[in-house]
Amino acid sequence: MATETQTKNVSINNFEQCLKCSICTVYCPVSAVSPAYPGPKQAGPDAERYRLKNKEFFDEALKMCLNCKRCEVACPSGVNIGDIIQAARIKYNSHRPKLRDMMLANTDFVGTMASPFASIANPVLKLKPVKAVLHGVMAIDKHRTFPDYSSRKFESWFKKEVAATQENYSKHVSYFHGCYVNYNYPQLGKDFVKIMNAVGYGVHLLEKEKCCGVALIANGMPKQARRQGEVNMASMRKAIAQGHQVLTTSSTCTFTMRDEYAHLLDIDNHDVRDNISLATRFLFQLIERGEIKLAFSDDFHKRVAYHSACHIERMGWVPYSTRMLSMIPGVELVMLDSQCCGISGTYGFKRENYERSQAIGKGLFDQIKEVAPDCVATDCETCKWQIEMSTGVTVENPISIIAQALDVEKTRKLNALD
Amino acid sequence: MKTEDNNHHYDVIVIGGGITGAGTARDCALRGLNVLLVERHDISTGATGRNHGLLHSGARYAVTDHESATECISENMILRKIARHCVEETDGLFITLPEDDLSFQSLFVQKCNEAGIRAEIIDPELAKVMEPAVNPELTGAVRVPDASIDPFRLTMANVLDAQLHGAKTLVYHEVIDLIIEQDRVVGVKLLNHHNGEVLNAYASVTINAAGIWGMLVAQKANIKINMFPAKGSLLIFGHRVNNMVINRCRKPANADILVPDDAVCVIGTTSDRVPIDTCDDMRVTPEEVELLLNEGMKLAPSLGTTRILRAYAGVRPLVASDDDPTGRSISRGIVLLDHEKRDGLKGFITITGGKMMTYRLMAENATNLACQKLGVNKACTTATTPLPGSEPKAKKHSTFSFAHKASQGRHGTLDDSIEHGDATSDALVCECEGVSVGEVRYAVEQLHVHNLVNLRRRTRVGMGTCQGELCACRAAGVMCDNENRAQSAINDLQGFMNERWKGMQPVAWGDNLAEAQLTATIYQGLLGIDTLANERRMEYYEI
Amino acid sequence: MKFDDIIIGGGLSGLTAAISLAQAGHDVAVISAGQSTLHFSGGSLDLLGCDSNGNAVESPLEAIATVSDSHPYKKVNEIEAKALNAKQLLSEAGITTTGNASANHWRITPIGAIKPTWLSVDGMATVPSSQAMPWKRVALVNIINYLDFPTKFLAAGLRAKGVEVEVKPITVPALEQLRKSPSEMRSTNIAKTIERNGLVEEVATAINNATGNNYDMVLLPAVLGIDSSATSDKLLKLISCPAGYVATLPPSVTGVRMQTLLRKRFTALGGTFFTGDQVVEGIFDGNTLKGVRTAKLDDTTLEASHFILATGSFMSRGLVADYNHVYEPALGVDVEDHSLNRKSWAVVDINSNQPYMEIGVKTDDQLRCMKNGEIITNLYATGAILSGHNSIKSLDAAGVDMLTALQAVNNILK
Repeated sequence: MATETQTKNVSINNFEQCLKCSICTVYCPVSAVSPAYPGPKQAGPDAERYRLKNKEFFDEALKMCLNCKRCEVACPSGVNIGDIIQAARIKYNSHRPKLRDMMLANTDFVGTMASPFASIANPVLKLKPVKAVLHGVMAIDKHRTFPDYSSRKFESWFKKEVAATQENYSKHVSYFHGCYVNYNYPQLGKDFVKIMNAVGYGVHLLEKEKCCGVALIANGMPKQARRQGEVNMASMRKAIAQGHQVLTTSSTCTFTMRDEYAHLLDIDNHDVRDNISLATRFLFQLIERGEIKLAFSDDFHKRVAYHSACHIERMGWVPYSTRMLSMIPGVELVMLDSQCCGISGTYGFKRENYERSQAIGKGLFDQIKEVAPDCVATDCETCKWQIEMSTGVTVENPISIIAQALDVEKTRKLNALD
Repeated sequence: MKTEDNNHHYDVIVIGGGITGAGTARDCALRGLNVLLVERHDISTGATGRNHGLLHSGARYAVTDHESATECISENMILRKIARHCVEETDGLFITLPEDDLSFQSLFVQKCNEAGIRAEIIDPELAKVMEPAVNPELTGAVRVPDASIDPFRLTMANVLDAQLHGAKTLVYHEVIDLIIEQDRVVGVKLLNHHNGEVLNAYASVTINAAGIWGMLVAQKANIKINMFPAKGSLLIFGHRVNNMVINRCRKPANADILVPDDAVCVIGTTSDRVPIDTCDDMRVTPEEVELLLNEGMKLAPSLGTTRILRAYAGVRPLVASDDDPTGRSISRGIVLLDHEKRDGLKGFITITGGKMMTYRLMAENATNLACQKLGVNKACTTATTPLPGSEPKAKKHSTFSFAHKASQGRHGTLDDSIEHGDATSDALVCECEGVSVGEVRYAVEQLHVHNLVNLRRRTRVGMGTCQGELCACRAAGVMCDNENRAQSAINDLQGFMNERWKGMQPVAWGDNLAEAQLTATIYQGLLGIDTLANERRMEYYEI
Repeated sequence: MKFDDIIIGGGLSGLTAAISLAQAGHDVAVISAGQSTLHFSGGSLDLLGCDSNGNAVESPLEAIATVSDSHPYKKVNEIEAKALNAKQLLSEAGITTTGNASANHWRITPIGAIKPTWLSVDGMATVPSSQAMPWKRVALVNIINYLDFPTKFLAAGLRAKGVEVEVKPITVPALEQLRKSPSEMRSTNIAKTIERNGLVEEVATAINNATGNNYDMVLLPAVLGIDSSATSDKLLKLISCPAGYVATLPPSVTGVRMQTLLRKRFTALGGTFFTGDQVVEGIFDGNTLKGVRTAKLDDTTLEASHFILATGSFMSRGLVADYNHVYEPALGVDVEDHSLNRKSWAVVDINSNQPYMEIGVKTDDQLRCMKNGEIITNLYATGAILSGHNSIKSLDAAGVDMLTALQAVNNILK
């Protein structure tokens, strides 16, 4: 009997595989800059044994974890250290989130409120007195610049301008645009539609889309995250039933919906997970299978430095994006060292985290300044804010770079659309 | 050894630093006697440190041994009060599985009640909610007041209290002879294992509380005690799968108790008669591992996929009754031998048999007899006097660090003697168990710590997942206060790693084998300890 | 995704092979499930330190001729050239080293033992002989509260060799800040604190204040140079006395640097690195491995003409021991026969030659793996996953890692 079960010897308590080798601590961006954080090994597998004994062993300092998952990527034994830490926060934290955290976490609600007033909100959020109030009352750091709210949401643009023509294509995908594309940067969504249409795919929105919930998890609102996640899963099931893949242009949304839903929120996504993909990955696979071809304009030239955002690193999907960029003849690609930029979504916006956030990102910022690229490419929107604010270098999603370089007419021809 | 120790006269000498000896020394000291406690190795080296760590409710014995059962429940309630920092009030389940006879349950509950043990039949579904790790196929469950108890802490607390009341403790002092004048034991001849010196200590009464080794002590006075060493093997798992003690509701058998202890859980035991000369170094066989795993999985199936940290074995001192020369009639009860009455040898008492649960009662009985011999008329107060560390305390500790909370759990109110709050003291030595530099220093200064194994028993250094992989070297560095002792500290380190390996080797597969390879890579490959530890003083290590 | 070669395992062996193949113009991918054993490095690389009798080896090149028939070196040609090659490869990645294969030199361990070794990363304190130390007076510097550098043991070890040693604790304000963390006052965090805040000069001043010009040698814990050797070199230059580093308990800053630089070198050569992913299945066609599936790439198959399995031993999860047998989890290739009985894996004395150390995958004389007894013609195994030697006892881990990797590359390019 023992021979049968100890055969795989893999505990449901994944922390058992920890050999205490300390490798995770080398790659934790937080413990190096913040002595109050116990580090991934101590906060994760070490303390978990004691938390199983008594919940009193829960330590508030765990909230300092960025959830970057770099500990998990580094772990040679496959321990889901970041998950253990986040799950402990969900399970044991008894503090209710602050108003500030609720506001930061509810990206879609705040976005909905701000977008119609973008022309007012954007300049106002940049005013020094307003920043001082946010800093003092809301504890949102004054150094931070809120990403601009777009005056026209992506969804509005999509419905008005392109939705009608999408049925003309023979193949179809659904697009989870995320809060950032919808409220702050519709251009990325437009770039995505441009590419997909050029290779013969019609793009559709989900019946209902909610924020993926990454910020809710980080800010201690797992219940709301779960509710939103269930809404997303239901919408995606419908899309998948129609034969659609669900594509995104954000590595963090993708990671959250594929992995965090099941690991942290107990959302059953097993039937949906494999059909959620990053747009770059989807395109790469189509090209590799010979189903589509891309043509690029000859006069596009850019020196692009690729930054591996934490969550795409965790998904192991960096090569899809970099190989896509490498296909563009005019792109000279430089790989930046894989390290956290320090923003981690809403984390870096909080006054108490600002200095830590900038200290974490310093190595990356220095390297970017040294490389001095035309632009930085990354698959994560919050990295974009952080890097642009901290280095002044423009940051683009690989999809936007592809869209800029794309020769639409040639591409349409190559794919026999004209 | 200071010269004043030689030839000193005591009221009582207690031989054996296990829980019985420590408890007896405490009782004697509390009654105002001048006591010397001697132990050939470390405190709680023998059976005391090698059992389940179960605070029996007595339910296990209710059907077969009414007397033991009543003793257990009575002592159980006492220990909850006097040793609260050693006890975790987990409660226990006695479960019936499909292969067991469910009708045993009603007899069991009836016998429990007769012994005064609160035994409550609960719905199997409720049992699964209360203890999710329990075998879901159970057909019956009874809830009893079992708990877990830390034997190392309990023994140390008894030693500390004895010392507070004037007792003297000599560890690593082995009784190599009893000093007999005419028909009386007047003292003991002791070998100091640290420096090889021999000294004498004298007492009006000598109490033999050396567990199974007590038969060898008695032999020195040509007294035969009919004892049978019974080896019991156990497995330690990497973390707790259960938060309640889980037992089988049937007649006691192999591997039918699973106890949550600190951050681990322990399944045991086997039971096999072994020769006395194997008792100093018992090793767990692959067959025992297999048996423990198979039976353990019946209590909690998840044990089958849980990492096993170690295998270890202890030895029960079983005593045959004096009137049965065949040795078949074994008692598990307390055996108090007044050798004056039994063998005509005055000033000599043996207290043996029994179990850790009833150590206090055993100590009380032995001390009563000693007092009687000494003409002292003092009542026993050990049942009502809290042990050091166990005093009630209201201190809030939600803001303490992980290590501070862990340390408070280990030392109770004595944690106040440990430096906390400055960077030097707070630096972690053992990350798995949360042992800080401050706690190591406290243990070295206050708790008879001479080597890393001693330190482990006092603090849990090296008892966690990694079994000493990084912490042992750190601890050795912290303990080594003087460069002249560096060589012996390195020998100590090597001995400690070998002691850890002893428990890992029988279960060296899976993550444990990977851990062992990493440890060997660090200690032998990186540090080169194998070339430095030129003399391996294993006799320190009673492994 | 298609590549010329795929290396499974991103440690010393895998990256040696990967860099070497990339230099030959191949399109190479490395799939790495977590970081490698370089993180436990002592800052030196061993080729062969002990012969089968347990005696220290003076000349690895000569002693390699005497290794047992099961030893992976038996499958490596032109050892001397490959050893040079390996040193060159490291140097091109930015890891310059001292030492050569004809004569071992000696490294100082964190607890003061002296061990024979092949290459030591520049800056590490080494000695030419195990007997006589080249220094009379040594200052042993440690950072206050850093517990992973046991100075008392190190001092005693040096003293036993006739050296006068004084221990000098130092600190700077930023490290005082770091040591408020009970669990994270560890090597790599010290390195990050000093380097990323530009404190090398400040640390040098603290050391010079403690040591003056009074010592033949100042020994420091190897807690500098996590990204490159620029800072660790700079500190040595700023110290008034001759100075060198001694390894610490893990994690090893020098090892992290080696890992980082090798990976950078590979990426700079155009290599593709799949980080934190794990091969879960091989797609075989007869005796050929066509491609591999990983845990994270779902339906993407990674295809290549040649594959190298360099996933390490048990602690790297390249081998897995379950209750009854040892297996290779990525591709299920054959493991040596004696792996089938748990009772034979480990022996009682921790210091003995532990049989599990010699368990590994079976290979033919060209380092090719086997599956069900059949040779897989395009799948090679290199490094710690190979069977037939005890790297802890014979001190040959890095040599086996690098030389078998270079041999496999030779076999592929042939």
